[in-house]
Order: sequence, then structure tokens, then C-alpha cells
Amino acid sequence: MVGNIPLPPPRLLFYLFFSSHGRERRRRQNSDPKWEKTTVRFSSHFSSSRSINRFSSSSVLISDASVLDGFLAVAVDAAKSAGEIIRQGFYQTKHVEHKGQVDLVTETDKACEELIFNYLKKHYPCHKFIGEETSAAFGISELTDEPTWIVDPLDGTTNFVHGFPFVCVSIGLSIGKVPTVGVVYNPIIKELFTGVLGQGAFLNGTPIKASSQNELVKALLVTEVRSLRMCGSLALNFCGIACGRLDLCYEIGFGGPWDVAAGAIIVREAGGHVFDPSGGDFDLMSQRAAASNSHLKDAFIRELNKSE
Amino acid sequence: MFTKRSEGVNVNMGRRITWSECPAHVCVPRTTVAGGAKGFEPAMAESFPLDEFLDVAVDAAKIAGEVIRKAFYRTKRPEHKGQVDLVTETDKACEELVFNHLKHSFPNHRFIGEETSAAFGTDELTAEPTWIIDPIDGTTNFVHGFPFVCISIGLTIEKIPVLGVVYNPIMGELFTGVHGQGAFLNGDPIKASSQTQLISALLVTEDTTERDKPSVDAITNRISKLLYKVRSVRMSGSLALDLCGVACGRLDLCYHIGFGGPWDVAAAAVIIGEAGGLVFDPSGGDLDIMSRRVAASNGHLKDALVDALKGSA
Repeated sequence: MVGNIPLPPPRLLFYLFFSSHGRERRRRQNSDPKWEKTTVRFSSHFSSSRSINRFSSSSVLISDASVLDGFLAVAVDAAKSAGEIIRQGFYQTKHVEHKGQVDLVTETDKACEELIFNYLKKHYPCHKFIGEETSAAFGISELTDEPTWIVDPLDGTTNFVHGFPFVCVSIGLSIGKVPTVGVVYNPIIKELFTGVLGQGAFLNGTPIKASSQNELVKALLVTEVRSLRMCGSLALNFCGIACGRLDLCYEIGFGGPWDVAAGAIIVREAGGHVFDPSGGDFDLMSQRAAASNSHLKDAFIRELNKSE
Repeated sequence: MFTKRSEGVNVNMGRRITWSECPAHVCVPRTTVAGGAKGFEPAMAESFPLDEFLDVAVDAAKIAGEVIRKAFYRTKRPEHKGQVDLVTETDKACEELVFNHLKHSFPNHRFIGEETSAAFGTDELTAEPTWIIDPIDGTTNFVHGFPFVCISIGLTIEKIPVLGVVYNPIMGELFTGVHGQGAFLNGDPIKASSQTQLISALLVTEDTTERDKPSVDAITNRISKLLYKVRSVRMSGSLALDLCGVACGRLDLCYHIGFGGPWDVAAAAVIIGEAGGLVFDPSGGDLDIMSRRVAASNGHLKDALVDALKGSA
């Protein structure tokens, strides 16, 4: 913080998410997907019965936009079914285990992950899967170019255990290592966020856009932004950016790709940016993420770097 | 000298009145109150129809809540009360609406409201029935469309909070509490949590509208130290809803130092007390609703929170 510089009026709602101490961290090497350089081509000439037929790290051919719609519909169904389990479990006493000093998991996390995986596998037996609870048990799979469902069955487990209503299912699909379809569903408040590459982002069927806030005051964090929020669910924070109720978000050291795979596409389709807090490209596997509306990315990165 | 007490709520209203000052017709000694706590109390049961007060307050909250809910989804034009402190037309409209609704039923009662106080200064709290109102707690959230907003309506008699209504019209949550009659969320009884371990507790706090370095450092230093002692920390943007969260057990602990005024806590203080929680000054002393300092816990963690806050000062 620079104490003597006069402060222009701060105008932002800034979200700060501290990662809980004691959480286990596993950093994985990744082949550094280049988000911005990936091209996605849609062709209307192919029938919808053809699925993804070729991938590389630099381009993806998707045969028909209706294929993505199909993926979205299945993901929404899975999210709603899991959401019903979460909603019923929300009002009961929970039996909690500890994954770390403060990191929690419940039977509901595990039951939801199994339900979602089974449902998706039934429709797409050749796709790959990365789930938070399976990864905790067996290690995290490497992300490849193949269509990969990246699932957090219950983001905000601490909130769930305590009955604080910021919980959600997060289901993301990456193709060519690019987040392509995202579903985030809060069954307590009944908010369903969706995004499909090239097709926009929606909240309960209504289009959403990131905020138009364009003023960031000089230094970061508590002094210079309008206010801070800490809600306990990174996926919902990203959705908050996407629908404009939050302007900025970052977290360093969160659990894994399942926390951001769905939120990333939803933010982007709403006109926002997702990036590494250092300013570099977003790396889905890095456990580091920042998000902003379309105006504030550069200013935010400058301030984040200053505050390191 | 005596301090007014009611179950779960130790309240120092800023000036203790002596027994000789307390008029016999409004203040009678009682050996027990609901739940067994001992203390002196106003003769509320005989003199004041709290159920009727509650009905009118709930009506007012719902009417104002509908105004808030409709405005929530529109573009707002906020003004600045300070560098970051916002107010909108909706704040002012709701305060006027609630005042008029209550004055219509209770013309002899007194009123303290956030927006009126901002304009004309805060009236002194007296022993007369006084409605203390925050028309929108969480105005920043309201402006941004972040769904933690509420209207807070509290009633004090003899300077003691005796009735509270907190209504979040976006999430459809109505919290109520009446002295001696329990606390409720949408009609269902609520209780503070049974958590006994600080390290397993969920703590909520807020930043303030102050942006000078000492104030900001105080906030962040406290949070930094507390992160080592609790399960996790939340900041939602509405102190009234934070306190109601403690009342219904979804949060275990709350503290805030340097908030706007008594309108942020007057209602929720009753609700927490009636839910079996505790509300107090962060130093461990009695709550003074005019002090702009508050802490709250379930029935078990008060001492642990006070110790942790002392360690983080």
C-alpha cells in the first residue's frame, strides 16, 4: 500500500478468497494450453451424429454446435439430479471427514460425484473424467486433448456442512484442453449458470454479462476497492463475475481444476476474462486463477503483482 | 445500579439506570424470565402487545422487501455517503415506507432510521418504545446485485431490544424474534449451533467503509490471525444477515467493529438471544447497541472468540 497517494473513489466490488490453511496442494505439470491461440471451428455441414473427430493442442474441430448443446443438456440433467441430493442433505446433520486440517468432505460429496460420473459415462462412455473426490483417492489424472468432464460434486463443502447457502455442483467439459461447456448449479438458491463456447452465458435461462465497471483504484485489496466478499465457493464466485454481481476475483492455492473448469467458460461467454494472477495465460491445472470483467484485467494484474 | 438482562443477551444501553429511577409501572422485579435467567425487566407482558407489534413489523418488512426485490434487478444510481459508503433512492423510499407504516399503527412510538439519522443526526435512544430501522442492510450488495440484502426492523423498550425482524427478499428468508418467544426463520424455530471447538467454527465478519491505513490494517490483521484459529472465514456484506446466520446455526461466530449504527444490530440481537446464542461487545463486555461494535456466538464459543480477538488486536 502506498500511504500518501490521494485515493480516487473506489467503485468496485472486489472478491477476495483466501485459501484455507492446511489444505493439501498438488501441483501438476501441464503442457500449458494456450487459451487465446486455440481455434475452434464450427461446421454446419456435418450431421449431429458425428462427434468430435480430431483434436490437437492448437485446434479443435467440433462437427456441429448441436453436439455441444447435447453435452450441455446432459450436464444440466446431471447437475440437477446431484443438486437434489445436495438440497436434501443440506438440511440434515452431516458426518464429516477431514481431508486436511480444515478441508472437509462428506458422504454427499462422494455420492454426488458417483451419480454425475455414472450419468455422464452412460451417455459418453469414451470421454475422460476428472473428479475432485476420485482424484483425492487415486491421484489426479493428466488433462489430455480428449473430451474430459471435470467435476466438483460439491463446491463449498464447508458451507454445506454449516448450512451456509453458497454451495454448488460444478461440471465442466474441456475439449483440446479448452473449457467448452460449463454448468454451475446452486440448488439452495436455485441458480443455474451455464455457458457453451461461442453461445453465451446464462443464469436460469436469462443471458448474463460481466459488469461494465471500468475504474480500479491504484493499490489492491482492502484500501482501494469498494468492498470485499468471502463466500466459500470459487465456482459461484466466478459465476458472480459472469453475471456482474462481482467485478474481480482471484484465488491462489485452491483444490484443483474442478473448481474452475465450468466457471471459466461461463465467465468468458459472459464477456469476462479468466487468467493467471500473474497476468499469464490461465492454466486449468495450476490451482491459480483470476477473473475480471472485460475492463479491469490489466489494472487488476498490475495491482496483484504489486501486492506480492 | 442494575443492568437489564434478558436470556442470552447482556445489554448495556450506554447508561445504566438505577432502581430508584425506574418507574414502578414499567419496571418490576422478576425472579425468572423465560429459560431461567434472573434479572429485572420491564413489565412488557402486561403493558405492551409484542405479538401485535411483530405483526405490523413483519407487514412493513414485506412491503418494503417487495420494493427492494423489484429494484434489485434494475440499474441503480447510487450516491456516496462517504468514500465507499453508498445510498440509493430505494434506501430512502423504504425507510419512509416503513416509518409511515409503523407510525400509522403506533403514533406515539419513537423512530431511529439509518437514512434519517444520516440527514439529521441520530436521536438519543430513550426508554420509550423505539423502532430502529435499516431499510437496506447491504446497500453495496444491492447496488451490485449480490443477493445478501435485507431490511432490519428492531424495537427497543426501556432501551432493551425486545423484538426483531430481518427480511432478505431476494432469498426469501424472514427471521423474527420476540423476547421470551423464541426465534424463527420463515416460521420454523431456529437455534444457534452446538459447535464447541473454535477450530471447527465458521466465522463471519465484514470490512468497513473506513479506508484510512490504521482501520484497514486493523481489519486485515485480525482476519489474518483468526484464520489460524477457526475453520474458515466469510464476509457477506450484510451484518444483520451475518448475525441471523449465527442465530440459525449456519455460522458459529460473528464480529464487527466500526459499522454504521444501532440499526444494523437492534433486530438481530433479539433474534440471536432468542435462538440461544450470545451477543456482546468484542471485548467480552456487555453489548452497547450505540457503540458500533458487536460480537456474537453460539452458546459455547463466546470466551474462545473473545480470547482470539484479544490475541489479534
